[in-house]
Amino acid sequence: MSVNKEWEPKILVFTCNWCTYTGADLAGLNRMKYPENVRLIRVPCSSRVNPQFILRAFMKGCDGVLVCGCHPGDCHYVSGNYFTRRRFMLMQRLLEYNGVDPERFQARWISGSEAAKFRDTMIRVSAQIKALGPNTKFREEWYVKGGIANEPSK
Amino acid sequence: MLLDKKRLKEALDILSREAKVLVPMGMDGIAKYTPWDGQKLPDLDIVNTMLPPKDTLFPQTEKMYNFTTGPNAQIAEVQATENQVLFGVRSCDARSIDCMDKAFLSGTFGDSFYSKKRENLTIIAVGCVKTGPFCFCDSMGLDPSSAPNADVQLADLGDAYAVTAQTERGTVVLDQWKSLLTEGEGDAPKPTCELKVNVPEDFAKKLLGMFEHPIWDEVSKPCLGCGTCTYVCPTCYCFDINAEKHGNEGTEFRCWDSCMFSDYARMAGGHNPRPSKKERVRNRYLHKLAYFNEQHGQLLCVGCGRCVQKCPSNMDITRFIDMAGEAIKNG
Amino acid sequence: MSQVNEMQAQLRKVAAELLETGTVGYIIGWGATRFPDRTTPVFIHDAKDADKLVWNEYCINGLAKYVLDDKIKDKKIGICVRGCDSRAINRLIIDNQLLREAVYLIGLPCEGKADKVKCGKCAHKNPVSYDVLIGDLVTETPVTDRFKAVEDLEKLSADEKHAYWSGVYEKCVRCFACRNVCPVCSCKECYADQYRVGWQGKQNNSVENWNYGLTRAYHVGDRCVECGECERVCPMDLPLMLQNRKMLKDINELFGDYECGLSDDRAPILGEYDLSDRDEYM
Repeated sequence: MSVNKEWEPKILVFTCNWCTYTGADLAGLNRMKYPENVRLIRVPCSSRVNPQFILRAFMKGCDGVLVCGCHPGDCHYVSGNYFTRRRFMLMQRLLEYNGVDPERFQARWISGSEAAKFRDTMIRVSAQIKALGPNTKFREEWYVKGGIANEPSK
Repeated sequence: MLLDKKRLKEALDILSREAKVLVPMGMDGIAKYTPWDGQKLPDLDIVNTMLPPKDTLFPQTEKMYNFTTGPNAQIAEVQATENQVLFGVRSCDARSIDCMDKAFLSGTFGDSFYSKKRENLTIIAVGCVKTGPFCFCDSMGLDPSSAPNADVQLADLGDAYAVTAQTERGTVVLDQWKSLLTEGEGDAPKPTCELKVNVPEDFAKKLLGMFEHPIWDEVSKPCLGCGTCTYVCPTCYCFDINAEKHGNEGTEFRCWDSCMFSDYARMAGGHNPRPSKKERVRNRYLHKLAYFNEQHGQLLCVGCGRCVQKCPSNMDITRFIDMAGEAIKNG
Repeated sequence: MSQVNEMQAQLRKVAAELLETGTVGYIIGWGATRFPDRTTPVFIHDAKDADKLVWNEYCINGLAKYVLDDKIKDKKIGICVRGCDSRAINRLIIDNQLLREAVYLIGLPCEGKADKVKCGKCAHKNPVSYDVLIGDLVTETPVTDRFKAVEDLEKLSADEKHAYWSGVYEKCVRCFACRNVCPVCSCKECYADQYRVGWQGKQNNSVENWNYGLTRAYHVGDRCVECGECERVCPMDLPLMLQNRKMLKDINELFGDYECGLSDDRAPILGEYDLSDRDEYM
């Protein structure tokens, strides 16, 4: 394992099983290159994503979070992504209002055949968050300090 | 001895050289004990802080152990070692520290986290000049102008404080201040509380006999089950222990808990002996007015009035004492 | 104010009648405390105690939450409701926490109480639903600055907003008064009490408190009836309505004019969808 001297962001991507994950799979099959700092979590539908997941991701050290699902109208469960749309428009605005940089949380519709869109989105988001730097807002102390070894004894 | 008020800043500076000095300060309208920054003088004109000084000895979140798991598991205790001075404590809060001492240090097992902090704490009390609308300490057996368990007692004489050492540690403080003190004496103001409560004789015993009395239903109805009263109370000392784990490392910490929370008494298996707010309110009032008295010989309620002031439903322990007194009189 | 005294007399009369005729099992209202500027919720079971009910400028507490305490089988629970309380009752009915038939609403038009912050942006002085009305309906005045404070905060930069909210949640003591007084927060077991699950730690630090604050704001979300109780009861005077109003402002902008709890049958915004919703994620 090579030692990575430069900071790389940790980006969590919630991908819906039927569209985005398939799209990511297709990107892989076609040997499309995208940055390794995106970590995918497969969910059955984008509406499975609880806004608390986003908060927890930021608390536990993620620098960016992405929620991806099927295009509206194409949801495997018919109406899931309509709820996603409403929910995350509100969540995004609430997070921005609380001081989280707006580019750290994004949502995108990526379908199963849009491997290129998947790759492009990952590259773009990764670059945006790398430019923003590590996220210190809303992050738990342990993740800010990097372990209890670095904690001052109170 | 007298300490001129103009020299208060110097007095605090001297104390700050060897200890962290906590003074009552208003922060955005909420007064609490905060570390003295060396500049702004403490707010001693307020009747009392909103948050009690118990945080000094019993922090809201207190790390106890750092640990690592696995084959080379280790536990490292986190111990506080700094000296602290609580400056400007009122009689009610000073008595509350006495109550907490009894809770944490008496019996066969002394709480080491508390005792370490207590050993390194100096209490400088200041007698009240006026009382507030919610104060009722003198009905609970306290004197607003005097805190017998404080290390140093200050009395506000207008331009100066009369300074009296009450313990060995207090004598050390006076020694540190000797360049600032002048000879002199004065009569401390002796305010009394407007709010009078009649605490009946043998109240503890009588209350314990009223465990199934219908008064509890009536009194507990407005309670919302939040933790406000317990968190602003200077004598509430219940805590929970939890751990924060990250992979193989973690920290065990203790944090304030409240008997008013619905799951406070819930046991493994799900049984809850205090399922409704009637049981929880009864438990809290009995603890303050009866149980602690039976165990340690003094009331756990010091009459500071913070719970009365801050309760969202305006519940009132003084009203309860009056009602209970009536009920006892009527048999 | 003589109008208030008349209303108090009428309220006591109506309350006594309701109890005597057995229409209600008990009545929830406001009663006096030893302090002239405070009232406390009272629960009147007997017609002869009806004189304990008061109606004055210090009747500030929200009463709606107390209807969840008991379920009386054959009698209704009477409750004094102002505009904010009646919206809260509607909210509970929509959330299936309460049956409309289980409560008897004693409507009291209210021109604002002594708490100017809570009552400052009141858009519904008259109760939105009631079974009996005490006094006369008052004229509603439209609220012009419902979201002004939110807009002012939005203008700050991300770092400034972060600093502001960080400071706010540093002060939070997690007493849960906001949650317990809120008529929307009626979960039998709150996520914050489920320590073993792990969403919310018990430590009191800025991030955990912020997590609690944001999660509660989001869980309440579109269901906030803007009663202002959360902000009133907070012992640390935190500006909690700023979070709730932000949610409502966004909902108004994105999904059309919206006020919660005006009737007892509208489904919540986040439980519905519209095919023509704005889409920002293409």
